[in-house]
Amino acid sequence: MRIFEHIHIDWLGKRKLFYTISISLFLIGWTTVFIRGLKFGIDFLGGTEIVMEFQKPVDVNTLRNYMGNIGLGNVELKTFGGSNRVLVRTELQELPRSFFPQVIDNVNTSIDKLVPGLQAKVVDTTATSVTYQFASPDTTNLLVSGLFREGYQTGKVSEEPSNTQMIVRVGIAEWLKENLKTKLSDNSFNVLKEDHVGPKVGNELKTNAVLAIFISLIGILTYLAFRFKFIFALGAVVALFHDVLITIGLYAALYGVIPGLNLEIDLTVVAAFLTLIGYSVADTVIVFDRVRENLKIHKAMNLEELINQSVNRTMSRTILTAGTVLMAITVLLIFGGEVLRAFSFTLFFGTITGTYSSIFVASALVLEYANRMHKKVQF
Amino acid sequence: MKELRFRLILIIGAIALSLYLLYPTYVNYHTTKKIDEVLTNKSAVLKAADPKISNDVLDDKLKSIEDSIKASDPSIAKEKSKSLKLGLDLQGGMRVVLEVNTATLLEKLAKSPDDEFKAALAQSEKEAAISNTSLVDLVADKLKAKGIRLSRYYGNIRDDDSKIMSDLKKSAEDAVARAMEIIRNRVDQYGVSEPSIQREGSRRIIVELPGVAREEEAKQLLQGTALLEFKLVKEAEFTLSVMQKIDNTLAGNVSLDSTGTDTTNSSTTASTDTTKDKKNLSAEEMVKKHPFFSLAIINPKGQTADAYVRADDRDKLKLWLARPDVQKVIPDNCQFLLSAKPFGYQNGQAIYVLYCVNKNPELTGGVVTNALANISPETSAPEVNMEMNSEGATEWARITGANIHKRIAIVLDGVVYSAPVVQGKIPGGHSQISGSSDLKEAQLLAIVLKAGALPAPVDIIEERTIGPSLGQDSISDGFKSTLIGFLVVSAFMIIYYQRAGTIAAGSLVFTILFILGCLAGFNATLTLPGIAGIILTIGMAVDANVLIYERIREELETGKTIKASVDSGFTKAYSAIIDQNITTFITGIILYQFGTGPVQSFALTLMIGLGASLFSALVIAKVVFEYMVQKGTKITIG
Repeated sequence: MRIFEHIHIDWLGKRKLFYTISISLFLIGWTTVFIRGLKFGIDFLGGTEIVMEFQKPVDVNTLRNYMGNIGLGNVELKTFGGSNRVLVRTELQELPRSFFPQVIDNVNTSIDKLVPGLQAKVVDTTATSVTYQFASPDTTNLLVSGLFREGYQTGKVSEEPSNTQMIVRVGIAEWLKENLKTKLSDNSFNVLKEDHVGPKVGNELKTNAVLAIFISLIGILTYLAFRFKFIFALGAVVALFHDVLITIGLYAALYGVIPGLNLEIDLTVVAAFLTLIGYSVADTVIVFDRVRENLKIHKAMNLEELINQSVNRTMSRTILTAGTVLMAITVLLIFGGEVLRAFSFTLFFGTITGTYSSIFVASALVLEYANRMHKKVQF
Repeated sequence: MKELRFRLILIIGAIALSLYLLYPTYVNYHTTKKIDEVLTNKSAVLKAADPKISNDVLDDKLKSIEDSIKASDPSIAKEKSKSLKLGLDLQGGMRVVLEVNTATLLEKLAKSPDDEFKAALAQSEKEAAISNTSLVDLVADKLKAKGIRLSRYYGNIRDDDSKIMSDLKKSAEDAVARAMEIIRNRVDQYGVSEPSIQREGSRRIIVELPGVAREEEAKQLLQGTALLEFKLVKEAEFTLSVMQKIDNTLAGNVSLDSTGTDTTNSSTTASTDTTKDKKNLSAEEMVKKHPFFSLAIINPKGQTADAYVRADDRDKLKLWLARPDVQKVIPDNCQFLLSAKPFGYQNGQAIYVLYCVNKNPELTGGVVTNALANISPETSAPEVNMEMNSEGATEWARITGANIHKRIAIVLDGVVYSAPVVQGKIPGGHSQISGSSDLKEAQLLAIVLKAGALPAPVDIIEERTIGPSLGQDSISDGFKSTLIGFLVVSAFMIIYYQRAGTIAAGSLVFTILFILGCLAGFNATLTLPGIAGIILTIGMAVDANVLIYERIREELETGKTIKASVDSGFTKAYSAIIDQNITTFITGIILYQFGTGPVQSFALTLMIGLGASLFSALVIAKVVFEYMVQKGTKITIG
């Protein structure tokens, strides 16, 4: 089977068209970036993220109404994978102090249910927990496991057999539980995943991510400059910038457009961008390799025609190599689960723009340069 | 055929090595399955026997059965440690990033911190949160701006600022080392399987606890203050008699080893053998008659009753010691504690020491004001100098005076770090502890001694928990995607390139095998992004084949023979293939450097995948091609 065999298309003659496509994609993307901004995930923003799994499917909108006024400020909700999984995010790291009494009341009710008539004494509270003291170690052990089963995060204060203190966490997950208990009494939930990220970590990661992307681009520029003449290396890296910028732009533009697709920039997305940078330059190299080879063979040929011929000759392998990667990524996008969706999506779009730019942008830039300089390009 | 031989050996070697490295993973998978089966059966039996059994009791019983199965066969743990590790996102668990709180430390270290100091500290803390400058520098700058010398709060009046600053920085550094040791010690005892404790940067510690469900308890464990105690080691005669009693109790019940729970058999088989006639017994008889002494080996000629325990036997021993019938024969005023670090090695196995100590501590570590490790000028052996505050020193003088030639164990959070012999009464609180085998060991002891007095306050700055069910989902999603990805890409290659495509699809199997083998061999952790890396590699691996085949087609078009076309197809495609792999590898390295946990695993699989796919495409596929050309088999490339 063969595709794109012996094609003779004047790609470079249409380069104005490709410039228009690229510039409009860029503008669409980056206008939304400036209007709406980029949506960052918890890795970069900091805050708390909780994934709840309900026993029955829940409607996110109803849930959103319930949670609008429970005092957690700006709460974001979205489905996570299935219809009974919901992700809740808030900027808060911990539950505000003013809610403590209510949670403690509830803990007390639960304690009373387990051991009726027991005197529960609170001996200490911290920003995220309360410590109880009971009369005997046995009661303490009973309550530690009893409350744990009820869904509280409990622990013994020390592993000593004589320990009589129990620590109970009072966090955002507990607060959600309290508030949903009455409203969704027939549909309880488990916490599947809980992340707390401090604001400092987020800022550091942001700096590191931008740094890593730039270092990669410089690394590739250096490598290619050794392999080819500098102008080719520059053409390839400009094409890479093009890929990264357009993919970021599209990312912003498509945020919230496709239902169920959670497009937030987190660490794995940055990993996808870096992989993209490494991978998408490969197609460019294949084209350039052929241009160089042809320059040696057809010394008299006009550069535009020569590049066209090289692009046409390598078209099938460029499409095929990108195609097999796209197949793998599509599988990942469909079957890889919610956690990897944004990652696969970035790679999916990035591979497409990467292949497009290798063929149409990188070589066109080299041609523009040669035309401007009015001299023969050498290798 | 001859020119192929070397490469054939290379290929077979690589495959054999991968299989060898993956074998423990296979074994571990089967043992886990078997243990699960046993537990399900057992749980059904227990439920049938007592339909009203509470979940708590059932879980406890199942857990102890699981523990005893694992403890009875050390090879289970060994295979597990060699098998491919799954990341927290796949098996569930907790990841905590801790940061040593330098501000609290500075405030604790300061002599009479006044409001001015506190204001400077608070302001510096705010600035440190957004900059990379160290807190010590910031505080020093703030104080300098106010015209206050650092010696007002730290060190001696005569010390200049730069000396104090370097001392403070050293204290901050010490605090991280102390926190690491305390955390490692506790996590080891808490019984989390395969915990990971790593230091990141100058102040951070990353702790990963797989399979932990009680987050609050685990956090308590990581953040709580350390308890350092000085406990008197019991005399040899006393210890031996207790051990003998334990041995006798166990001798009747040793058959319970693997089931662990039916502790009803009475221990009436009163075997009153003394330690001496044990030598005449065979190993099996020994285990039967003296279960305790077969695990805790006593040196009959030794002065002490310290028992030596192999690393593998520690869990079993702890289980035995915790049994109610054994607890009954241990006197109330004493307890058995293991050493924190191995005493030595025998046949490649670490040997730990089991001490019998007084339950009540003579002194707790709050009294230690400083501890320093150095090389003694007289004996040129490493030693630790310990200083105590005045209260502690008085007590210490009394304790040491009353227990000359006895040993005092230094116990941190329940394990013994050292048990030096008291040489004489120590009046001023200045003690020297010798006997460390090297300076490193002495430094560790110094860290431990300071742990009780100088807390290393740590803040949790990042906390992630993943429930086991989400991990299970991720595993099945990942597995499904890998399989489908492989099938789709292989099918495409076979349809498009026919026989040559089949070779590519075949070498893809080896690529995946090599990746997994390498991951197991490097002791790397497989995470969900890591699986994504494998799937991506499947897509990228055939790129090399595509480039080669397209070249061969081109060469064939120019009218060359199949042999010549194959040769030049491989040669001419090399440069493009290498270029592609190098650029992706460059980003892989950067990603590995910058990324954390899961992302690093992705970068690692990607890089290993690139290497493995190069080997498959350039060596394996080429050998197959050359063999087919030699044999005259028809090669179709679509």
